[in-house]
Amino acid sequence: MEPLTVPGTLDSLTIIGQYVNAAAAAAGLDKKIAYRLRLAVDEIATNIIVHGYEEAGRAGDVLVRAALDQATLTITLEDTAIPYDPRNRLRPEHIDRPIEDRPIGGLGVYLTTESVDRFEYEYVGNRNRNIIIMNRPKGAGSPATG
Amino acid sequence: MAFKSALEIVNGVAKITLSGELDAAAAPAFRTDVEKAAAAKVKAVALLMKDLEYMASAGLRALVFAKQKMGTQTTIYMISLQENVKETITMTGFQNSVTFMDEYDAATIEGA
Repeated sequence: MEPLTVPGTLDSLTIIGQYVNAAAAAAGLDKKIAYRLRLAVDEIATNIIVHGYEEAGRAGDVLVRAALDQATLTITLEDTAIPYDPRNRLRPEHIDRPIEDRPIGGLGVYLTTESVDRFEYEYVGNRNRNIIIMNRPKGAGSPATG
Repeated sequence: MAFKSALEIVNGVAKITLSGELDAAAAPAFRTDVEKAAAAKVKAVALLMKDLEYMASAGLRALVFAKQKMGTQTTIYMISLQENVKETITMTGFQNSVTFMDEYDAATIEGA
């Protein structure tokens, strides 16, 4: 699939979601797994847009790339916000507390890491690169197209 | 599908009908209805979620806000959830703070 580049604004979340859904369909992911993948990408994209760009007073794009191989579907998100590794805040300590006692925040990254098979981060060439990997069902791996 | 949130207050219960996809861009509309419900000092909030196809953590944050604003005595009911949305709620432990219900049960919700 061709990569997608969208402005770093919340209005772009819908088109990112559509791109991920199309990639999930191409990869033969079942609906439940496709939903989790879309959620994971949506949460990371939201963090990039809200914290990386809007709250920091910066403007920039989000690049989304889907790559298929026999065994996996990899979605990569790249942005030009300040370096930020989401893995630094994984499981919120308050996850078992009643919601009225919780601080607001930290849920998005938690949902991402819980929803996907692998989550990686790297900072390359002045860009944050968030990498989300889902295993494809066995037998779905027709020749790689992405 | 575009997100929609519609609020009506019946017998002291805020019924909020949600449909479409609730992501961070859509969450302010939901939060506005939650704020109205809190201001009306309702005894319960019933979220009618049959047509809500997707919910990100931004939707959950609106619920945290609701619980904190309304206090523990206000019950939040989630009615007719789709399976994927339910999974997200369960993953975050929110099911301990809300009540799931298959259909709107007026006797239970409005009679509370």
